[in-house]
Amino acid sequence: MSFNDKLGKFLLIALAGFSLLMLIVPSAIIVAISFTEKAYIGFPPSGFSLKWYSEILNKQQLIDSAVTSLWIAFVTTVLSILIGIPAAFSLVRGRFLGRSVVTAFVVAPQMLPGMVIGIALLFFGAYFGIYQSNTMVIIAMTVFCLPFAIRVAMARLSIMDSTLDEASASLGSSRLGTFFRITIPQMLPGIVAGGAFVFIEAFDNITVALFTASPRNRPLSVELYNLVQFDSSPIVAAISSLEILFAFLMMLVLARSIGLDKLRV
Amino acid sequence: MNAHNNLIDSIFEILRNIILRGGIGPVIPAIIFLFFFFAMPLVVLCAFGFVSIDRGVVDWTSISLDHLTSTIKDSLFWHIWWRSFWVGTVSTIFCLCLGYPVAYIYTLAGRGWQILILVATISPLLTSALVRTYAWMVILGGRRGVVNSILLDLDLIDRPIRFLYSDFSVILGMTQIHLPFMILPLITVLSARDLSLEQASLNLGASRLITFFKIIVPISLPGVIAGFALVFAISYTNFIVPQLLGGGNYTTLAVQVYEFIVVILDWNKGAILAFLLLTSCFSFVLGINYLGNWAMKWKEVTR
Repeated sequence: MSFNDKLGKFLLIALAGFSLLMLIVPSAIIVAISFTEKAYIGFPPSGFSLKWYSEILNKQQLIDSAVTSLWIAFVTTVLSILIGIPAAFSLVRGRFLGRSVVTAFVVAPQMLPGMVIGIALLFFGAYFGIYQSNTMVIIAMTVFCLPFAIRVAMARLSIMDSTLDEASASLGSSRLGTFFRITIPQMLPGIVAGGAFVFIEAFDNITVALFTASPRNRPLSVELYNLVQFDSSPIVAAISSLEILFAFLMMLVLARSIGLDKLRV
Repeated sequence: MNAHNNLIDSIFEILRNIILRGGIGPVIPAIIFLFFFFAMPLVVLCAFGFVSIDRGVVDWTSISLDHLTSTIKDSLFWHIWWRSFWVGTVSTIFCLCLGYPVAYIYTLAGRGWQILILVATISPLLTSALVRTYAWMVILGGRRGVVNSILLDLDLIDRPIRFLYSDFSVILGMTQIHLPFMILPLITVLSARDLSLEQASLNLGASRLITFFKIIVPISLPGVIAGFALVFAISYTNFIVPQLLGGGNYTTLAVQVYEFIVVILDWNKGAILAFLLLTSCFSFVLGINYLGNWAMKWKEVTR
């Protein structure tokens, strides 16, 4: 290897190492700070205590907003799967005129910033006299997340073997049996991965929620948005750490279902 | 009992036929849902930029281009637009410079490192952007910010450096938050590449550096374009990072949209700005793709 090659290799590894550190370190710092004993954020964090975590439990407003967010995420996930999975079947296996146009249409919301989807629904609702509410957040989130569910399911379907269904049927299995024993289990990793992705996105997305959430019954992301600006206590770090933990759990689900290297944004 | 089973079977046969053999049927709920809650709201959003709204009541007879012309005649608008464009472009270029090495090393690394890279890339993607912005507020903050406390403790500085509320903090935050969106498309393209081409280039005596720039970079161009367009679009339209890391006086086009709609409650102005944000964003994405395709054609000719 020439000197230039060595320099190139060194630069490559240095830059890659720097990027990886940059991706990990900020979250690690937040987790470290969340265990501080002090009443303010400081670095290095001093002592070790869980008092900021127990402080979360003392704030009813935070608990309420977390419950709201879980509910929003749950309904959004169910809706996205119920609408998205059949759609994926049709788009991968169906043969009809204008299939590519329909595909482009159903994944289109992903090309728009969440803010625009939120504002569009806010205006649309206002025009008909409907105001911000959890229902509006759920609808906006479903619009925003549906493309994820459809694309993950489509990717799964395109590698699935449709002859297995026919084999099962010809070997004497009932149609009901074939559907539940062959088609659904084969599809399951796609459903689980898509669902996990939708759930986490619907849980912590802020750009859509900010415009569609009602000022009273706020989801956790909107609550956190205010806390981040006006509360300097480590309680924000504690909430953030829980969200980071949650992200890791969802990543495990993704890794077990379709594998991390199959994930496409 | 048999008759009962047969009935269930035939119902499922119909369902299964609809779903598995089906034509357009199963996608219709998605089309209807998105028509009502995506396409129509978008039309309303754009329409709101071209009519007058008085106390929440839309006056459809007042259709005009007044809001549009008064906005684009305003020099402040162009000033703010330029900042959006500039911040988006610079942070996208940084993302490319930082993301490419990671994606390239991914394709050469062993399984353990590959998993580490995937975890480092995907876990931030699943963590809320708000939390990750907050992390930068803590790191770059004033006297008690992480960087400043370390520098103060080491006696390298006497007073805290002001990192937050500047172009620097906004670009740094955006770059870090959008980095996964650059790495993943690059990994996809680079993993699919034909390694024998590089081997041939090396065997024929080209240095590794030349092989990298003449073989690998051109092959990965589709991923570069995809990543660049995606990261530019999300940087250009991000309003959380400029708001939290840029501070109250730091406005970009996306921040203006938020302020006019949520704070000032001038929906006409907000709608026209959102309309301009969206159309300009699409124009840039199309432009990036066009330039990318042009670059790929040019590469083919020289090869």
